[in-house]
Amino acid sequence: PCHDTARALGDSPASLVPCRIMPVRWSRYNPSYLEPEVKKESYQKPLEELTEEEREQMELKAVRPIKAAPPTLSSSVFSDPMISKFTNMMMKSGNKVLARSLMSQTLETIKRKQLEKYHKAPENEKVTIECNPYVIFHQALKNCQPIIGLSNITKGGKTYQVPVPLTDNRKRFLAMKWLITECREHKHRRTMMPEKLSQELLLAFNNEGPVIKKKHVLHKMAEANRAYAHFRWW
Amino acid sequence: TLRLICTTTAVQRKNVGASGPEKYTEAFIKKQIEEFNLGKRHLANMMGEDPETFTQEDIDRAIAYLFPSGLFDKQARPLMKHPTEVFPEQRKIQWGEDGRPFHFLFYTGKQSYYSLMHETYEKLLTVQKHQDQLIAQDSSIPLQKEKRNLAGSRWLTKIELEEMLLEKVSDDDYSRFIQLLQKLVALPCADIEEKYIQKFSKEVPVQLQKVVIEPLQYDERGVAFSTGEGQRKTARATAVVYDNGTGKITVNGIDILHYFPVLQDREQLLFPFQFLGRIGKHDMVCTVSGGGRSAQAGAIRLASAKALRSFVTEKEVEFMRQAGLLTVDPRVKERKKPGQEGPRRKFTWKKR
Repeated sequence: PCHDTARALGDSPASLVPCRIMPVRWSRYNPSYLEPEVKKESYQKPLEELTEEEREQMELKAVRPIKAAPPTLSSSVFSDPMISKFTNMMMKSGNKVLARSLMSQTLETIKRKQLEKYHKAPENEKVTIECNPYVIFHQALKNCQPIIGLSNITKGGKTYQVPVPLTDNRKRFLAMKWLITECREHKHRRTMMPEKLSQELLLAFNNEGPVIKKKHVLHKMAEANRAYAHFRWW
Repeated sequence: TLRLICTTTAVQRKNVGASGPEKYTEAFIKKQIEEFNLGKRHLANMMGEDPETFTQEDIDRAIAYLFPSGLFDKQARPLMKHPTEVFPEQRKIQWGEDGRPFHFLFYTGKQSYYSLMHETYEKLLTVQKHQDQLIAQDSSIPLQKEKRNLAGSRWLTKIELEEMLLEKVSDDDYSRFIQLLQKLVALPCADIEEKYIQKFSKEVPVQLQKVVIEPLQYDERGVAFSTGEGQRKTARATAVVYDNGTGKITVNGIDILHYFPVLQDREQLLFPFQFLGRIGKHDMVCTVSGGGRSAQAGAIRLASAKALRSFVTEKEVEFMRQAGLLTVDPRVKERKKPGQEGPRRKFTWKKR
């Protein structure tokens, strides 16, 4: 069946290939192409430290062709896949320049606020204050991620909200989506996005704020609908 | 109703059932081969070359010269190839004059496939018997199997198997056959049947370093440099990377800070240098045309990565390839389809 789909779509080039587990509907790349590995550290590991799987992966990579690295990915210390994903989600109508500038302004504002706090704090508390905006961003996102989600399942004519485990991708997506919608809707007309975003991120970092509340509400709903958990069949 | 009067006999014959793919007799194929060889000699004479040493490439070039065609599909253009390549191999008649088939599995419908499966299973049984004998003698299974280089070889694809067996093989049958082969290979004493297994496995070129890396060139001042070309969407770029530089990069005569005001593009330009750790060591002069801002940056990135290959060891070239710096990005704008507003967006659905 996988071969037929590959041929029927007609887009993948003539070189034949074993079936993929998750066929992409329309990719310009032949399915045998592997994802590129951009981080420099993974190429500097000496041979002995690799496990069996990594050795196999290395051998496989030596034989198969590799896709081109996308323009958002780079080996420099400043490129972070999470930040790129967040920037893409903030982007409207393809205006990446604006989205990226908003993101950098947000990170700058976070740094400034934290530095202010740092300089005002007494000596013993200075250690606890986190100044690195990237660390704050990652921690805030982690705190916002829900553990369990709800899904609509129709049974016997009625639709129930069934608690369902979420994949990592879905958790990250929900956390980012909530942050962005929260910042867009509940802000004063005159406040700039970076300011509001930095506010929300700092609150989320300390496990406070409307996004964390939304996460808790979702958890409570899931707990309340615990009785319907057996409706899930996957 | 109008009845056609001046018609050919072919049109008048109606309601004739399809008789399957055209069968070519051996005599017909032989005649085609003779005609091809004669035609090859005639063509060589026409082109003024020696008929004895006229290869297939010469034939293709001659035909392309004598019959120029602007058709898009390469297979629709005039073609002159050896008849064995043009006419697909077909099976001869599988039954004798009395109507009795030769092969004992003829009535299964897939005689070659089932006979192949039988053979492979027999090999499997012999290997298992051998293993049992060894256990009975030594009570130890020799684990001499160092793992067959899985990455270096692959099984025959379905189409190659079909060509080998000269009959259609369905997806299920193919996967069953591959599973059986894998089972055979997984046994410790499978080395006995190595020859048989090799019939169905193909070598994959171990390194995809089929590309030739050009040596460095030196200009008048004695500075080493190398060129590279890159493309992305509609942008085409050429880059010349000089050694002993200060890290200055010029695009179309303009400094990159002025040509690429966006940080992302400059990051992409520096990506190959940063990956190799050679940021302040090279100078670069590039020319780029076509495409948009991001496409030009991607094209220059590819061009500079290709140019840097000459300055760097083979291992690092392999690392660059695995980082995705040396592959041409094939993604282009998708075409708009009729009946839709864009490549994917459909028209607004209106109830009435």
